Amino acid sequence: MRLDADEREFMCSGHAACPGCGAVIALRIFTKAMGENTILVIPASCTGVIVGVYPQSVMRIPVVHAPMPAGASVASGLRAALDMRGDTDTTVVAWAGDGGTFDIGFQALSGAVERNEDFIYVCYDNEAYMNTGIQCSSSTPYGAWTTTTPGQDWKRLRKKNIVEALVAHRIPYVATANIAFPEDLVRKVKKAKSIKGSKFLHIFASCPPGWRIPSEISVKTARMAVQANIFPLYEVEDGVRYTINYKGKQRPVQDYFEVQGRFSHLTAEDFEQIQKMVEEDWELLQRKAGDQAADACIQSSSAKRAIKPNKVF
Amino acid sequence: MKQVLEGNSAVAEAVRLARVQVISAYPITPQSHIVEVLSDYCATGKMDARYLRVESEHSCLASLVGAACGGVRTFTATSSAGLAYMHEMLHWTAGSRLPIVMAEVNRALGAPWNIWSDQTDSLSQRDTGWIQLYCEDGQEVFDTTLQAFRLAEWVNLPVMVVMEGFLLSHTYEPVDIPEQEEVDRFLPPYNPAFKVDTKNPFTVNSIAPPSIYMEIRHDNAVAMDQVPERFDDVEKEFEVLFNRRYGAVEAINCDDAEIILVTSGTITSTARLLLEDLRDRGEKVALLKMKMFRPFPVELVCRALKSAKKVAVIDRNFSSGAGGIFLQEVRAALCNRQDRPLVFGYVVGLGGRDVTKAVLEEIYKATKDGDVPSDKSVWIGLREVKHAIGR
Amino acid sequence: MSVAMGQKPFVVITYETTESNKTGSWRFLKPRYQDKQSPCSAGCPAGEDIGMIEMLARQGLFNEAWEMILRENPLPGVCGRVCFHPCESVCNRKDFDSPIAVHTLERFLADTAAGKGLATTPQKLPKRNQRIAVIGAGPAGLSAAWFLSMLGYPCDIFEALPEAGGILRWGIPEYRLPLAVLQSEIARIRSQGVHILTKKAVSSESFHELRRSYSAVFLGCGHAHGAPLGIAGETPESVKDGLDFLRRARQGERPLCDGFSVVIGGGNTAVDVARTITMSGGNAAILYRRRREDMPAFGDEIAMALEEGVGLEELVAPSAIECHDGRLRLLLRKMKIKGRDKDGRGRIVFDGKKTVKKVVDHIFAATGATAAELWYSPPLAQRGVIGFSHCVLLLEEGGAPVIYGGDLTNEAKNVAQAIASGKQAAMVLDTYFERGIDEIKPRLEACVVGDGPALSMEAYLGGPRGLRSSHLVQYAEINTDYFQNETRVTQPRLAVEDRSRSVNEIELPITAETALRESGRCFNCGLCDECDNCYVFCPDAAVIRGQHMENRHINYDYCKGCGVCFTECPRHAVIMGEEGS
Repeated sequence: MRLDADEREFMCSGHAACPGCGAVIALRIFTKAMGENTILVIPASCTGVIVGVYPQSVMRIPVVHAPMPAGASVASGLRAALDMRGDTDTTVVAWAGDGGTFDIGFQALSGAVERNEDFIYVCYDNEAYMNTGIQCSSSTPYGAWTTTTPGQDWKRLRKKNIVEALVAHRIPYVATANIAFPEDLVRKVKKAKSIKGSKFLHIFASCPPGWRIPSEISVKTARMAVQANIFPLYEVEDGVRYTINYKGKQRPVQDYFEVQGRFSHLTAEDFEQIQKMVEEDWELLQRKAGDQAADACIQSSSAKRAIKPNKVF
Repeated sequence: MKQVLEGNSAVAEAVRLARVQVISAYPITPQSHIVEVLSDYCATGKMDARYLRVESEHSCLASLVGAACGGVRTFTATSSAGLAYMHEMLHWTAGSRLPIVMAEVNRALGAPWNIWSDQTDSLSQRDTGWIQLYCEDGQEVFDTTLQAFRLAEWVNLPVMVVMEGFLLSHTYEPVDIPEQEEVDRFLPPYNPAFKVDTKNPFTVNSIAPPSIYMEIRHDNAVAMDQVPERFDDVEKEFEVLFNRRYGAVEAINCDDAEIILVTSGTITSTARLLLEDLRDRGEKVALLKMKMFRPFPVELVCRALKSAKKVAVIDRNFSSGAGGIFLQEVRAALCNRQDRPLVFGYVVGLGGRDVTKAVLEEIYKATKDGDVPSDKSVWIGLREVKHAIGR
Repeated sequence: MSVAMGQKPFVVITYETTESNKTGSWRFLKPRYQDKQSPCSAGCPAGEDIGMIEMLARQGLFNEAWEMILRENPLPGVCGRVCFHPCESVCNRKDFDSPIAVHTLERFLADTAAGKGLATTPQKLPKRNQRIAVIGAGPAGLSAAWFLSMLGYPCDIFEALPEAGGILRWGIPEYRLPLAVLQSEIARIRSQGVHILTKKAVSSESFHELRRSYSAVFLGCGHAHGAPLGIAGETPESVKDGLDFLRRARQGERPLCDGFSVVIGGGNTAVDVARTITMSGGNAAILYRRRREDMPAFGDEIAMALEEGVGLEELVAPSAIECHDGRLRLLLRKMKIKGRDKDGRGRIVFDGKKTVKKVVDHIFAATGATAAELWYSPPLAQRGVIGFSHCVLLLEEGGAPVIYGGDLTNEAKNVAQAIASGKQAAMVLDTYFERGIDEIKPRLEACVVGDGPALSMEAYLGGPRGLRSSHLVQYAEINTDYFQNETRVTQPRLAVEDRSRSVNEIELPITAETALRESGRCFNCGLCDECDNCYVFCPDAAVIRGQHMENRHINYDYCKGCGVCFTECPRHAVIMGEEGS
């Protein structure tokens, strides 16, 4: 696939991310879609470590580290400063993990988007506190093992629906994206960049060590979450206009769970129950989206090289 | 031009004249008038600034960290629980060497609920790396706020301008408010030590490993150690323009005194009256007003207390298990000095209880009559009380 | 270190990148680009690089795709019409939805090139001293001459009939293979420098003469004579040769189509004969001893024949012919299926003593064919005779080497195999002349496509194809997440009512748009098409794209060996190996 993104790299090689890290795949594609006029605010998270230890930085764009609850608030202030400086070309981005978004950062996020702060808030979601050693967050899905939902005490609670929480703020743009669908991700990033006000991108990013998967299926596993409707790709404009972006190949949830060690304790009955839960959510989403033209949906990422425009026929 | 203003408004006027660019605040009694006025100034264009109506004090200071990293002059005001909620960000601000100025209106911390004056809120943030300046009246509040920006931006450290709730924040006094041009002569436009900019990309505050963390902290300490001197420089500049100065400490009649009362904030004003009375009666008494608490001006304190036999430190604050906080600091400052005075400590006025001239006189008497100070602070004016669980 | 004093605070602001951290040291598995073999290419007797051809076609590079075919096959216009396309039956896409219409696309590319009058100048080696005589201008002879001339050998083809083409000219009806298509292919072979001498029949005497005047002789005389049925009452009058019937039709004779004709056999010749009769207004039926699904003829051809009114009777075998009132009475024994043959088809046995009688006007035999002359066939194994999969080399004192090819040496008799034979013969002779007899087998082995026996001339000439791994890509190795179900192109055809008494080609061309769509369905198994998935997904930004494919590489200084590139490669063109191996 060819991405409609900057050819330049805004992330250097040599970073300390685990092999196959989904967060890094997300960040690399995201920054290429954003371009150089971007400042990242990164609250405590894996990314906060990955982007480099002093005096090194992985990023070729400015980064402001922030305390864990403060992604949205530091970004708000930075935006205000740029406005006062007359810098309207730069986009401020808060780049937070699920812990920094769903949990400790949620208050600041809610406050900032209620004020409709002009920034893009990205939650890269790997469904637990991975940096600290795989502890349960409110993003951890039903059925998952983590170090704080150990053994038979696996999480028997649903994952918080963060997207709906953001939609409830009626901000101009909320979208889900997934590292396995880079073209869709790039399109959403560019769309978000073009809109004034608060934009929220929820990017599903696998974590090989935390999910207990081999690194080479990092992207494939993330894709399966979309195929199983566990993580639907959709966008919501102005809190009301829902568009589902993926209606391609479908899979039963079991396919997705079976490849991951964090779900290895689940039984056939559990899968059945989870399938029901997923279908319930999916139907609810479809109701919100209503009827939509099939051509608005992506079937899969493109496998093909772009046609050379100068040599067609 | 003199105006009759409450302390909160004096702060707001100073912030306006300081040409602050980003203000972020969350309302809390008794600070709220400051932010109401500033919010109005931003809305009506009296100030060319962005006002961030944040949802909490944590976000308040976090947003100012973001703004200050962006290279603009910033201000906030808070109180009590709000300050406590900022705690993490207080450290972060100082560690980032961001010259954020804050008006801190003293109020007791819960539980139980209490909205009245008590310095424990600001003093319990003494280790966060902020400069703390305590004020006595409306004019000082105004002047100190202006000075705070100059000082903060000089040493690249944040400054907390501390004033007591209601006693200062809501009390109307005549305050001399200078013209903008005069203030501009005192306070040049902000020239940040660094600013985040896409044209010169770098990462701020990434992980600093053990191999460098100590050096960073030491640099911070060196900057803090310079503050008494720099503050003196700031005050000299200020005095030239406005003909007023306060000093990091103010020693009144200390040269010949046998007993010196050590106070801060509004208690100082009451103590000044007592001092006049006692001097009239021939008592060899003096007064040391503590304006600067962080950094603790050890040299100035020791010099002022040099001649005294006894010192009475009066605290409208309390660190449970250790006593009054000024008491601890004064004792610590003196401990290595030859011929150091006996240091008596008194806790008064917590949660807004009145500290009258009579209370201070009682303290003076107790000090004069006392042979050896208690290790602990002595609580003045306690009443017999009933409570439910004890019955 | 210097501690900043007041004015210059020590703020943690970075001044270096992480590029000095060589994270490649973490790696224990190492990804590597490696092109592999697609099953279609291995399944194609001519070894066409089908995955690459479709890749070019998909990008609209139709000329380049056509030239890519010509590297391995001089007759794309012919094969795009009459090849039995074994490539499609092994296409990995069949397990996903349906195989790529390789055959249809091949014809499209050939027609597009012909329509534009494109000439081609395939890679040609410097001229050699050895001159080669080729006997027979059928597909094997034409191919042998094409590839030999590519390798630098001047070639003269001796053809007995007035026109070149062999079975393609005389044995396949015009409605399947228009004369103009064949002529343009032959013209291109001529333009390569091949001399075709028609009406030059070679006798066994002149054959020996050729062995003296040329450095080698290729013998590709094919099966010109139909095989007899071998039943009672069979005479040249009662049973006519199907091939001969088709030849006469191509020569312009009006086909015999009065009364009721039956054609014995199940191959394409049988179907061609029956359809030719029907289209000329006659009435014909095919009699076959097995079932329809066992017929070697193309399924589509059978279906069209039935549409056009040809009858089909299964499980009947002729046993005798009697003359009866000027008509023929054909005795047939009924057959039934019992078990399976080695080739997987149902084994047939007599159904007891059940018989059928049919009164017919003409009987055509289309059950096989033989060489016209005995000496056309290769000698039996003996000293000096070296057998290969598609040709036989004879080396003996007193004459130039002879290489036998085409139907007479091929196990399966069809155009694609004939091309394979011509190509193999060219390689055998070239290696023999250049490097000697012992080098032939190893050199051929190095050019095998997949698991063989197809050979690649591009590989033989040292092209990049030769660098591919021999691994044949399996369906399970394709990342089908990158593909979606798409309907295979339907071959457009003339309506049945328009086919009669017509010499127009029945199968119609497809549009460029359809060709783009159909070639876009191809998985391009094992072939990097620079889709960039490896680049897009690499978490370590360690995939370096060059201006050209050859420059694409992995920066092992930083690659941590996560394997995402390996998994996300849609076509299995990346492999993971042990570090250091």
